[in-house]
Amino acid sequence: MRRERSPVVAGLQAAVPLVLGYFPIAFSFGVAATRNGLSGVEAFALSVIVFAGSAQFLAIPLIAGGAPVVVAGLTLAAMNLRHAIYGPTLLQKAGAAGARRHGWIWAFTLTDEVFAAALGALSKGQRFSEGFMLVLGACAYVSWLAGTAAGAWAGGGALEGWPALSAGLDFMLPALFLALLMSILSGAQVPVVALAGAATLAGTWWLSGTAGVLSGMIAGAVAGVLLPQPQVRHAR
Amino acid sequence: MRAEVLEMALIAGVLTYLWRYLPLRADLRKLDRDGPFARFLAATGPAAIAMLFVAEMMPLLHVTAPQQERAGVGVLAVLLVYLWRRSVVLATLAGAAACGGAAALGLS
Repeated sequence: MRRERSPVVAGLQAAVPLVLGYFPIAFSFGVAATRNGLSGVEAFALSVIVFAGSAQFLAIPLIAGGAPVVVAGLTLAAMNLRHAIYGPTLLQKAGAAGARRHGWIWAFTLTDEVFAAALGALSKGQRFSEGFMLVLGACAYVSWLAGTAAGAWAGGGALEGWPALSAGLDFMLPALFLALLMSILSGAQVPVVALAGAATLAGTWWLSGTAGVLSGMIAGAVAGVLLPQPQVRHAR
Repeated sequence: MRAEVLEMALIAGVLTYLWRYLPLRADLRKLDRDGPFARFLAATGPAAIAMLFVAEMMPLLHVTAPQQERAGVGVLAVLLVYLWRRSVVLATLAGAAACGGAAALGLS
């Protein structure tokens, strides 16, 4: 029998790898933004308002290149369209415990990484609760803001004298995703994971990064519908 | 702060929030668990994480061999530590430490 932990403790525990992974990436964003002509306040404001790593990194060349405001804003939003599936997926996994009364708060923090960490915890037996989601999301958000502020304060070239540290920090997110993938992987999901990975690779290689992201998610999810998936069908 | 940067951030931020929040309002508790939409949602999680991992690793195709080798060391460390301890935290830290250590030892 699994011991029930409080939502706060469970959220904090699930947030540890996320915080460790987010801070260096956000630091890199702050450094890159200031190196490309954004002020520290502008870099920080992007993190406060958008809170989506890949879109924020894309914002840097768009701003530096003088892209029209509306076009740039819509482009960044389109990149995040995949987030629309994350909430329903978590609620479906949560089953009867899938409350959403305070969803208007925790939905703001539903990034790729928060979604992945929440799903990983639920797959390992964590009971869904809004308290868990709020703590997990808040930790991620604070870490992202702190990293951005530190990077913007340090300025461009801050990591140039520390190649080993830079290499380790750069690998934090791939390591996090691989560890999360291992934590939710079962034999029945191997075809889904393999097809999603292959489609991401092909889409990115032949079309673009955004096309790769979308094709990977769609291919994996469609595989889950079409292929026999006993563990998916009986997932809580 | 420039007005155009703020406007762009607001457009992107508000729409991103709506993508994340509005689908939550759909009541999925009565969803048929054997139905195609339920299976689609259940498969989305593993697919998304696999996609994110591949997307993070893709830039390694365009870097030098030593950089690829140290990423390989990092991947190996994540796999071994996860299989050993079954901990996402330890596996993540081990991967980053192994990658940084490999860089310090000259794989850069």
